[in-house]
Amino acid sequence: MESGPRYIIQSLAKAVKVIQMYHINHPSARNFYNPLYEKITIYLKDHPVIEYQIDQFIISNRGKAVYKEDEKETSIAFRLFRNGIRNISFISGLSFHELIKFLKIISKISKDEDIALELWEGDFEHINFYVVEEEDEVIDYKVPDFTKMDIDYDAKLREIIARENIDLSIPIKPNLAPDELQTLKNQIAEAEQTSGIPLAITTLISYLNTEKVHEIIDILKELLELCIDNRNFYDAIRIVNKLSEYPDINPVAKFETEPIIIGFKDVINTTHQETFNEFMNFISFFSKKSIPYLVRLMTFAKLKKRLQDLRKAVAYVAQDDPTTLAILLQDQDIDVLVNTIAILGFIKSNETITLLEPLMNHHNAAIRTEIIIVLTELDKAVRIARYLDDDEEIVRIKALQSLTRLKYTVIYYDLLNRIKSKTFRNLDFAEQREYFNCLVANGGHEVITQLRKMLFKWVFFRRKRYSVMRKLSAMALADIGTGHVLDMLRRGAKRRNKSISSACEMALRKK
Amino acid sequence: MSIHKFGTDIIALLYALVKAVQVYDLNNDVVQTAAKKIVYSLKTLLNIYSSVQLVRYMDYVFFNKQRLRFEIDGYASLQFIHDKLKTLGIKSLSFLPGIDKEEMIIFASIFKKKKEEFTNGYSSSGFKRILVEFSTEEDEVPDFLREGERIKRTYFKALKVTRNLMQNLWMNQPIDVKSSRRIIYNLIDSLTQDEFGLLTLTAIKNLDDYTYNHSLNVGILSLALGQRIGLSKKSLAKLGSAGILHDIGKVALPKELIYKSERLTNEEWELLKKHSDYGIKEIVKARGLDETGLISMTIAYQHHWNYNGSGYPIHNKNESPILFSRIVRICDSYDAMTTPRMYQVVPYLPHFALRVMWKLRNVWFDPLLTKVFIQLLGLYPIGSCLELNNGEIALVIRQNQGYSEQPIVKIILDKDEKKVDGKVIDLSMNSGIKVIKPIYAQKYGVNPATYFM
Repeated sequence: MESGPRYIIQSLAKAVKVIQMYHINHPSARNFYNPLYEKITIYLKDHPVIEYQIDQFIISNRGKAVYKEDEKETSIAFRLFRNGIRNISFISGLSFHELIKFLKIISKISKDEDIALELWEGDFEHINFYVVEEEDEVIDYKVPDFTKMDIDYDAKLREIIARENIDLSIPIKPNLAPDELQTLKNQIAEAEQTSGIPLAITTLISYLNTEKVHEIIDILKELLELCIDNRNFYDAIRIVNKLSEYPDINPVAKFETEPIIIGFKDVINTTHQETFNEFMNFISFFSKKSIPYLVRLMTFAKLKKRLQDLRKAVAYVAQDDPTTLAILLQDQDIDVLVNTIAILGFIKSNETITLLEPLMNHHNAAIRTEIIIVLTELDKAVRIARYLDDDEEIVRIKALQSLTRLKYTVIYYDLLNRIKSKTFRNLDFAEQREYFNCLVANGGHEVITQLRKMLFKWVFFRRKRYSVMRKLSAMALADIGTGHVLDMLRRGAKRRNKSISSACEMALRKK
Repeated sequence: MSIHKFGTDIIALLYALVKAVQVYDLNNDVVQTAAKKIVYSLKTLLNIYSSVQLVRYMDYVFFNKQRLRFEIDGYASLQFIHDKLKTLGIKSLSFLPGIDKEEMIIFASIFKKKKEEFTNGYSSSGFKRILVEFSTEEDEVPDFLREGERIKRTYFKALKVTRNLMQNLWMNQPIDVKSSRRIIYNLIDSLTQDEFGLLTLTAIKNLDDYTYNHSLNVGILSLALGQRIGLSKKSLAKLGSAGILHDIGKVALPKELIYKSERLTNEEWELLKKHSDYGIKEIVKARGLDETGLISMTIAYQHHWNYNGSGYPIHNKNESPILFSRIVRICDSYDAMTTPRMYQVVPYLPHFALRVMWKLRNVWFDPLLTKVFIQLLGLYPIGSCLELNNGEIALVIRQNQGYSEQPIVKIILDKDEKKVDGKVIDLSMNSGIKVIKPIYAQKYGVNPATYFM
């Protein structure tokens, strides 16, 4: 591949032409700038720099013309020259990204574009250029007038020295000590990285701390929009915190619309946990008006933990008033319903039960499950117990888990009867296990006797099927885990009855 | 790598080699390695350039026509090579293709010596690929430095842009944001080429209305200080804009107040202080909320905050001004002190302004930045008029890097106080001529501006 300065500039000119015709991302454009980058890279492997001098219609390298185009409309030499650019160099280390940025700038067709300004602002690390100021403008300058005045200058000097108490004998040593140099370097590094937005916010807040000025408030509101667009919720909160001091201003009102809130779906799934946490803080400033949109936003959440955090945040927005969510309980969308019910669970109000009443027997299991969770939060065990006969296993399991957690001892004998019934053995192991967990949680001392009986029960028929009951009993005993019970299991493990011994061994192992 | 970086690398390598030959035998590994490194770099550069040339003119060192800036990084090596070139009377030093390690070591071994020994050693050694051009009494300005006109154009264009910007804001007219953005980059480029060209123009004062002239001067001084501490071009652009816009809040005040010739009353003074607050909204009008606008807003608001937490507008004392505001604070105070105004007909002499600032470092001004600022301007900044120990009166025309008390001066009055087109003297060159004290040029009816324009 030819990669000398002549070929490079000619490839560059072709690439510019194609970018102007199509677009930088168009495959035809790529066919030109990819090889161009390759040519430059090859050349820069052996040469630290390629330098071009720009004339009106000619571009030269080391005094030799390498590009010539007299047509003003198409000449890249003319385009650069017109903008005052007289020299361009590509330096070893040039990245593809830099080249693309450069091509984008010099391919702009509009005559109003200031290519030099854009190149300056492009802040290229590996592209240098030299610009001269337009010569066509007449700028007059003359030596300022000078009239000798009748002033005693020596006296004036003495006056200044006295006023400022200047001691002329004090030496001035402006050299920086190594530690001072390091301090300054650190300060420079920090200043170079500081973004304007947080600084401006601090400044504007500082101003408002002394005086309430509407123009300043308006600037802060504009910056707030900028922060939201940039997903910079940390600074957004600083602004909102300040503006919230004024009762006549609702700084977040503008963002409480459906399109804006739904637009935050990228934020709730962001990989930056900090951004998400700051977003949670930000929405805590929202009013109840935003709740329907926030609940819809939840349907986009991909992570369970994030969903829970959002629900908590919305519960906070609802300010312990469950009625604000009532309208959403009539929604047809199952996700919206589930989320609304979950939020009610966080609000923990007495009105919640009334609001949920129409949905208690909702045909969708997810809704009933969510209701159980809310009932658990509200300590409504009696209502939860009704779900032990639900058609869906998932609902029954949730009910059992909730009753286990709530310690509803009244249920003990009912559970025992259910476990002893023939139908119990038709249930899945997971549900059976939850029954035993619930039994242990609500049983008191008596439960050990019952479990021991079930573990060591002598059966004639269907021994194999009964072995599941032994396992469940043994596991429940192991969960109780007192010394007496563990001794019992150890003795069981030595029994000749294989079904008993293996159940005990397994339980002890899991312990 | 930029040409500037190539240049500073060569300077650093030459410095390392000369230091090595000062300490070790020429066959020592340290010397051999240092020579190998510089020769390798020179050979690489000679693949691109037909020769590699270091030129010293006044207090500048140029690498292939690109001026090497004195920055806090690499300051020691550049200072050393500059001083060496100066004391040995070398105008230019060229390295040609074919240079080898042996030639480089021999050159370094005589480069470390005194002027006479160096001159003799150079002519007797018969160097073929290291060419030295010695300075004459009156060295001509190198052609690539004849940028004076261009720098003046840049300065006056910037002054025009600043004036238009402020006038348009004053009259609620549309702002030409593009021009004000562009001019900053022109100023940065001019400073990169010739730092002191623009600084000289800031010393003239009263080229226009104080408000415009002062705003631009603060912008330029801030850029020069920012460049000296090594800020990136991107940061310089923000700092320069902010420097020019620092007093923009004044356009929100009554013109009568700004142009009042008598001393201000307390009430008027309090009103004038509001310009820091008003600067914020004027900057939003002028720049919008882009990155430069946001930084400028903060600087306009903080440019009267002092290093010790005092100053106005009233603020929490624990809140420190940002680095850029501390730079503008220094440049603003210096330019204000040294510029004549209606109520300050006789301004502070630059030397005394710097002495005041030195005294107030740690109180009003950042102590480290104050040091760098004095390094930049020298103790007798360009435009200062000095009484010399031989009875002559001289004008400071250049700084001597590293010799802040010994600038390059031009004699303007003889011992009998008669105006003369005197010679240029480098006071650091042990001529026996010393500064007695700085004085007001006006006392002798001299207008320093005539020497610079």
